[in-house]
Amino acid sequence: MAETSYPAPLTSGAGRSFENLVKLLNGIGSLWILALLILINADVFGRNLMHAPISGVVEMVEISMIAIVFLQLGDATRVGRLTRSDGFFGIILQRRPRIGHAMGAAFDFLGALFMFFILYGSWPSLVEAWVLDDYVGNEGVFTAPRWPMLFILIFGSLITLLLFLTFVGRHLRAYRAAGGPEGKAI
Amino acid sequence: MIPFEIGIGSVLVIVVLIYAGLYIPVALGLVSFVGVWIMLGDVQKPINLLAVAAADTISHQVFATVPLFAMMGLLVSKAKLGNDVYQVANFIFYKIRGGLGIATVAANAVFAAITGSSIASASVFARISVPEMRKFGYTTRFSVGVVAGSSVLGMIIPPSAMLIIYAITADQSIGQLFIAGIIPGVLLAVAFSVAILLMAKISPRFVGGPGVVDVPAVSEEWQSLTLLDVCRKLTPVVLLVVVVLGGIYGGIVTPVEAGAAGSLAALLIAILRRCMSLADFWECLVETGHITASILFLIVAASMYSRMLGVAGLPTLFDAWLGEQGFGIVGLMVIYVILLILLGTIIDTASMILIVAPLFLPAVEALGLDLIWFGIITVIGAEIGLLTPPLGISCFVIKSTLNDPDITLKDIFVGAFPFAVIMLLVLIALIAWPELSLALL
Repeated sequence: MAETSYPAPLTSGAGRSFENLVKLLNGIGSLWILALLILINADVFGRNLMHAPISGVVEMVEISMIAIVFLQLGDATRVGRLTRSDGFFGIILQRRPRIGHAMGAAFDFLGALFMFFILYGSWPSLVEAWVLDDYVGNEGVFTAPRWPMLFILIFGSLITLLLFLTFVGRHLRAYRAAGGPEGKAI
Repeated sequence: MIPFEIGIGSVLVIVVLIYAGLYIPVALGLVSFVGVWIMLGDVQKPINLLAVAAADTISHQVFATVPLFAMMGLLVSKAKLGNDVYQVANFIFYKIRGGLGIATVAANAVFAAITGSSIASASVFARISVPEMRKFGYTTRFSVGVVAGSSVLGMIIPPSAMLIIYAITADQSIGQLFIAGIIPGVLLAVAFSVAILLMAKISPRFVGGPGVVDVPAVSEEWQSLTLLDVCRKLTPVVLLVVVVLGGIYGGIVTPVEAGAAGSLAALLIAILRRCMSLADFWECLVETGHITASILFLIVAASMYSRMLGVAGLPTLFDAWLGEQGFGIVGLMVIYVILLILLGTIIDTASMILIVAPLFLPAVEALGLDLIWFGIITVIGAEIGLLTPPLGISCFVIKSTLNDPDITLKDIFVGAFPFAVIMLLVLIALIAWPELSLALL
């Protein structure tokens, strides 16, 4: 995709700790993927070579996917990996920085709003899963409590929401710095 | 008819917002939210819909294919298998005029059988074969064009990330789609090679290379490959193909397990070839995470969109409308391919499949067409967009990988154009003869 001038990284102390938290979550997600890789291979080899399959692998993989995605969504957003078609936006940012940053602020605000709706809508399920002690999986094969996955979903959404808000802030600062419509891109 | 109009309106708003530069998952999710809200008149319903889509969409084991095949692709790129395959291909084809171009296509086809991404193919071969081809007198435009064109093989020859995404969208078997991709992929590679031969004959100055420019045909060291060298260089690749495709085709493993076993094998090969430090491996894992989060979040948002379409009854009504127009199969496919090519100029392949396919699936099913075949058509049609301006992603990847001010994006687009045309011709053949896709099933 076209080069886009994304806002500069966070520099304040609080900003850095937040960034480290986002990276930490991403790291946990990466280790989780590694664990799945090992688990699935152990099952394949166990089943085919030693007739000793590991039961519940399918269920474990199923519940892992949400956790992995929402642990890593923040970092993917931070490094600009959320899918977007930024050809037109990139040109606007370059030629009319003020308009571009206003658009950027609006886009990132919409991102925050989207995460808020997911978070807000999922909250009752988390409460319900906690209160009722809900579980996922197949009884007798593999079961796990339902609330940790919903907790990760909500926590990951919250982190991504906050990240979008920092993007909004940076676009607004750049908007002011750009002065008039003839101002320079940062 | 009100929901129908809101549905159509939502699709148009989504496309406009995506063009403007809004994150694609956000555009899909929020517009679907507003659409359902207006249609049902109760804000709680779309909120529930978003929550259900977020928690339930990806809770199925097939989604593990996304991180696993992404990781395999990254590990294979790190293991530098591309260089070896390219050397062998050069050794086979260097005597032919345009030979290094054909070698690039052949190496890409083989490489495609062990990775699932055109982006990976484009960046690997931009580094390996563009410098080599220019060294032997091929024109810049032809060199970058061949790399861009043949990179699309990465997503058609299985394993393929895009076939996985289609399989998820259309609820079809990943294994069957992989098998169905083999003949079309090989056909495309052969068509590219024939086209290179013709180009070298008809307009040698566009191609360049030995015989046109006064240069040696190939470097000495490559002429002297022995059979043993060839075997040694190809063994790891063959091994990976056997693990993944052999496993799936032989019914020994599921696609998820094939991805896991393939990743493990690629990791071992990279370690044995001393291409993998702990830091490299961690980098691969983090990159896998970024790819996974961005693709699966897109799929979550796309499921909100398809639920919105369902509430509007759009796919059914669209099917009825197409029936009234009396387009028939040919008309339907013409509209579909044109739509894919137009959207493909600016939207990435995965998003396009997720946006367009759900609209057409009911109509395609009603006409009694095969959904596996339709998947192959969808992926190839969508992939033409990788090569066309203004946003041909393969071309951008090559540009940024080469990072050479002498090579402009325009050069890459011009060079890739003949290959985009050939893709379209192959696509037409695949539409005309569904057996080409379905013969191996």
